[in-house]
Amino acid sequence: MYGGGNTFEGIKTDSLSQEDPQKLAEFEARIARGEKIEPGDWMPDMYRKQLIRMIEQHGHSEIIGALPEGTWITRAPGFKRKLSLMAKVQDEVGHAQLLYSAAETLGKSREQMLDDLITGKSKYSNIFNYPAFTWADSCFISWLVDAGAIVNQLANAKGSYGPYCRALERICAEESFHLKYGHHCVIYLASGTDKQRQMFQEALNRWWAPMMHFFGPSDKISAHTEVLMKWKVKMSTNDDQRNQFLDMYVPKIWELGFTIPDPKLKKNTETNKWEYTEPDWEEFKRVINGDGPCNKERLEVRRIAEERGRWVREALKSPSMRYVTPLA
Amino acid sequence: MKSLDPRVNRLPGFGQGEVQPKAALDQLGTYEVFVQAKEGKPFQHEGIVHASDIELAYILAKETFTRRFTCVSLYVTDTRDVYVSPLSEGQTSAYDLLPAAEVQQGEQEMYEVYHLVKRGKQHVHAGEVSASSPQGAMQVAKQQLGVGKVVYNVWVIRKKAIRYTTDTDKDLWLTLPDKKYRDASDYKAGDKLTAFLEKAKHAV
Ligand SMILES: [Fe+2]
Ligand SMILES: [Fe+2]
Repeated sequence: MYGGGNTFEGIKTDSLSQEDPQKLAEFEARIARGEKIEPGDWMPDMYRKQLIRMIEQHGHSEIIGALPEGTWITRAPGFKRKLSLMAKVQDEVGHAQLLYSAAETLGKSREQMLDDLITGKSKYSNIFNYPAFTWADSCFISWLVDAGAIVNQLANAKGSYGPYCRALERICAEESFHLKYGHHCVIYLASGTDKQRQMFQEALNRWWAPMMHFFGPSDKISAHTEVLMKWKVKMSTNDDQRNQFLDMYVPKIWELGFTIPDPKLKKNTETNKWEYTEPDWEEFKRVINGDGPCNKERLEVRRIAEERGRWVREALKSPSMRYVTPLA
Repeated sequence: MKSLDPRVNRLPGFGQGEVQPKAALDQLGTYEVFVQAKEGKPFQHEGIVHASDIELAYILAKETFTRRFTCVSLYVTDTRDVYVSPLSEGQTSAYDLLPAAEVQQGEQEMYEVYHLVKRGKQHVHAGEVSASSPQGAMQVAKQQLGVGKVVYNVWVIRKKAIRYTTDTDKDLWLTLPDKKYRDASDYKAGDKLTAFLEKAKHAV
């Protein structure tokens, strides 16, 4: 899972003037030809830094994103749902491993990435700073947050950095299971009892605002991204991705008879674009900077997981200890 | 700190610890993973895993890359055991960028050879050669596998440094067909949806 929402900080272009102009021109020509950049190739410092940040944050989002759903595994209704959710959560953690590996090819160690996650130095997708109160919240995440992630990941898979694209191709193949599973869960809630329907409606009411935030601030207020678009680091704008998501999923939500909590939401038939109430970007910034309902506990759970695994990693590192039967 | 989720509050040490920075190599070293998708197809590079030794690397590779019907065989090797050529571009072959190496006399060993033939794709198995050093293996591969071809990057790996799949290891994948719940095709809800829509139509 992922969203464009965490790479909204502006980029500094001043380092660009220190790059070798000829190498820079060759680099840009390669991207313009549609060729991928590989780890051994020359690349501008800014490209490297931006990609590390983006891929690393994507990796963190997979790990942290597994937490709200993870606690629902034992409470999922029935054995089959438990199996499915467990498989999905396992996939998400596997995605983090693939992504960390891709980021590592750019020169940042996995130790450092994990440290930066726990200390709060690097960010992850903002949507996971909200709680999953009920089973329906978990279903919302599986279906719609993953759907949003797919929009983002399919776009990024056409980007310029070889290892990231290859990781994303593998990830997207698995996401199709997540999406189908999530939709399956929601269809069952929708065609269930009144209470089940109400439960999903309430989850939808809680998650709609974070879902609109998911793709990042509107293009009107986003830091300028032309260089990143030219270098195929960013493949489409936040608003375009949001629009694509609404196009694909609003009809499916309405079809199930649910109400989306935005009276202004409608498709403009002339522009072919969706109109909606402008999301509260102040809240978005506040939450991404640490002041959301779950920020602290997400990092704390991660810290505990790391601490509890430490002795295992240390034991693995020193396999030279051997048991010898006492002599007498 | 208090979570809204009682399960989280019950975690031992919740809210009480300090962040301990990681020591170097806390995440262990890396191993390269090569996978054969189908019988008769060449192996190709898939990615890396972090592990403490090659046996654990093999197991983690299986978990990371072959949770579904994606392979018949895989092998792993320590990243440091992969000898890498320069990266070339355009019409230049990586073989032409190799530093001149004298062919040394010595004990011959077998090497696996991988080629990158299209930038942006994975390295694919090209064949195997016999040589007395990785540098020598590159030179032999140039003559035996690289003539008349543009190859952008070459990897050679001593076969003795590889953990291959054995016949009994293949059991690892035997239960995969039973795990249909990992597959999108196991989540068909079309009938349920149609029934729901029908009912909704009549209710109006
Ligand atoms: Fe994912
Ligand atoms: Fe997912």
